[in-house]
Amino acid sequence: MCCVVAHILYLMKTFIKIAIVLSIGFYSCKKDKKTETPEPEPTVVTGSLKLNFENLVDTLPLDFVTNYVNANGDTFKISKFNYYISNIVITKTDNSTFTEPNSYHLVQASDAQSSLITLSKVPLGSYKSISFMLGVDSTRNCSGVQDGDLAVSKNMFWSWSTGYIMVKLEGSSPQSGATTKALTLHLGGYYGVNKAQRNFNFSFGTSTANVSESIAPMVHLAVDASKMFKGQNTISFATNYFQMSPGAAVKKFADNYAEMIEFEHVHND
Amino acid sequence: MNNKRILTVSVLVFGLAACKVDPKINQPLPVDDLVITVPNGWPEPVYTFSNNPISKETFALGRALFYETMLSKDNTISCGSCHQNFAAFANDDHQFSHGVNDQLGIRNSPGLFNLAWHPYFMHDGGINHIEVQPLGPISNPIEMAEDINTVMAKLSASGKYKSLFKEAYGTEEVTSQRMFRAMAQFMGLLYSNNSKYDYYKRQENNVTLNEQELRGYSLFIAKCNTCHKEPLFTDFQFRNNGLKVNPLLKDSGRAHITGEPGDVYKYKTPSLRNVALTYPYMHDGRLTTLEECLDHYTNGIQNTINLDPKLKDGIPMSAEEKKDIIAFLRTLTDYKFINDQRFADPNFPR
Repeated sequence: MCCVVAHILYLMKTFIKIAIVLSIGFYSCKKDKKTETPEPEPTVVTGSLKLNFENLVDTLPLDFVTNYVNANGDTFKISKFNYYISNIVITKTDNSTFTEPNSYHLVQASDAQSSLITLSKVPLGSYKSISFMLGVDSTRNCSGVQDGDLAVSKNMFWSWSTGYIMVKLEGSSPQSGATTKALTLHLGGYYGVNKAQRNFNFSFGTSTANVSESIAPMVHLAVDASKMFKGQNTISFATNYFQMSPGAAVKKFADNYAEMIEFEHVHND
Repeated sequence: MNNKRILTVSVLVFGLAACKVDPKINQPLPVDDLVITVPNGWPEPVYTFSNNPISKETFALGRALFYETMLSKDNTISCGSCHQNFAAFANDDHQFSHGVNDQLGIRNSPGLFNLAWHPYFMHDGGINHIEVQPLGPISNPIEMAEDINTVMAKLSASGKYKSLFKEAYGTEEVTSQRMFRAMAQFMGLLYSNNSKYDYYKRQENNVTLNEQELRGYSLFIAKCNTCHKEPLFTDFQFRNNGLKVNPLLKDSGRAHITGEPGDVYKYKTPSLRNVALTYPYMHDGRLTTLEECLDHYTNGIQNTINLDPKLKDGIPMSAEEKKDIIAFLRTLTDYKFINDQRFADPNFPR
C-alpha cells in the first residue's frame, strides 16, 4: 500500500516536474517571441569604388616647386590647383547605372586626400564606364548657400557675381602680363555659351571595375594641368594671366580643359 | 497654418530679444507684423524658406548677425551700418556708404524690404539668391573686406554666438551654410506692406487717400507704373534710365555681370516703397529729393547707349502733377515696418 502511494507520489512529482519544465519552455518561447526584434530587411550587399585623380603637368606629377613650360613656351610655376568633380555616374556591363547621391567633390592639389574619391553603397557587379562633370551644375549655382565641399567658405565661389569657380589655377610666370608676374586663373560661369562646366565619359576599355564585398576597385584618372593651356586655344600668359569672371576668355580655357582628364586604368585589388 | 506658426514665432522672437534689455519694450506686438502669407494681390515670392525652416531661434541668430560688426575686417561695420532700420534699411543721407577705413563705394545703399520677391540682388543683379547675398558686402574690399573663414573663426570664438548657433541649430558649430540661412530668415522676413497706400488698397482702418494723393495715384499709374509696377513697385528689370554718365565712377551697371554691350548702364529698377525714406536716389545716389527725381524724368534724360526706349522723350509731367505724384509716393512709407522692434538692432533697443 505504502509502496503504491509512494509510486503514485513519484509519478505525480515526475508529472509536475515535466509540467514545470514544459510550462517554462512554453513561457520562455512565448517570451522570446515577445522580445524578438522584427526580422531585418534583407540587406542589399553593396561595396565601394574609388577614383584617384592624379594631378600632372605633362607627364610629371604636379607640384608647387617645379618650373614647367606651357605650349606657348612660357615658363610657369603652380601654387594652387583646385577643381570640382561632380555628378558621378558609373555604368555596369548590363547597362544599369549607379548615380552617386549629392555628388560634389573639391579636388585640391595641396591636399592628397582630396584626390581620392570613394563612392560608397555601390551595388556589386562589373562596371564598364564612368561619367562625371568637371565643375558644378547650374542647379547648385542657383540654389542658395550649400554645405560640404560646396560651402562658400571653400573659397571656390564668386561673391559679387554668383557662381562656383569650376577650376582654379594660381601661380607665377616670368611671361605673365601682371606686374606681380602672377597667374590668377579663376574659371567659372554656369550658364550661357561661355559656361565653364565640361562633361567627361570614359569607357574602361577591355577591363571592368569589379565591385565586390571584399574588393573596392580603383579607377585611375590623369588630370594634366598643362592641357588648360593648349588644344583648341594656345594660351599666352602675357595676355591670359588674370581671369576672375565668366565670359569668352573663360571659354577658351574651358574648351582646352575639356581634354584635361584621361582614363588610365582600373585596379581590381 | 504657416501664418499661425509665424505669428507665434514673431511674438516669441520679440520676447527673446527683449527679455534682457529694456523692460518697456517687452510688450507683445500686434501679431500680424511678420507676415509669411502672401499679401493679397501680390505675386508668389521667389524665396519660400523651403530649405530653411523658420524658427524664432534661427531668426534671432540672423538678426544678431545682421547687426554684427565682427563680419567686417576691423570689427567696425555691420550690415546695419549701411542699412538702417529707420531708413527702411537704406543708408540715410549717404550717397555712398563707408566701408572699412572709410573707403567709399560707387553705388548707393538700397533699402531692404520684401526681399523674398527679388529674383536677384544688387543694382547689377549679380547675386542670384538671398542666401548668398551677404557674402558680397562681407568680402568686398571696399565694404566689410573680411574673409568668410575669418568671420566664422571670430563667431566660433564668441560665447554669444556659441549659444545662438546652438539654440538655432542644436550644436555650436559655425558653418557658412548655417550663418547665411539664418541671415536669409532675417532679411527674407523684412516684409513691408503696411503703408498708407496698403491700408487704402485693403480698405483697412478706414484709411483713405486725400484728393491730391488720389490724383497722384492716377498719374503714377499712367506715367510710372510700367517700371515701378504695383504692388512691389518694381518690375525687377534692368534698364538705363537716362542718367548722365559719371566717368569717374567707371560703372557699367548690369554689363559688369553679363559682359554684354547691350547691358551697359542698365540697373535694376528699385522699388518705390518707402521711397520718401531712402534718399539719396538713383544707383549712385546723385539725386537728393523726390522733386529732383521727377525733374530728371521730365527734362534730364540723356540719350546714352541702351537708353530705355520708353524714356527717349522723357515723361511729361506738369509742376502740379509732380506735386501730386510726390504726395502719392509719400503714402508708400511704411511706419509700422520701420518701427518694428524685431527688425531693430538687438544691441541698441529703442
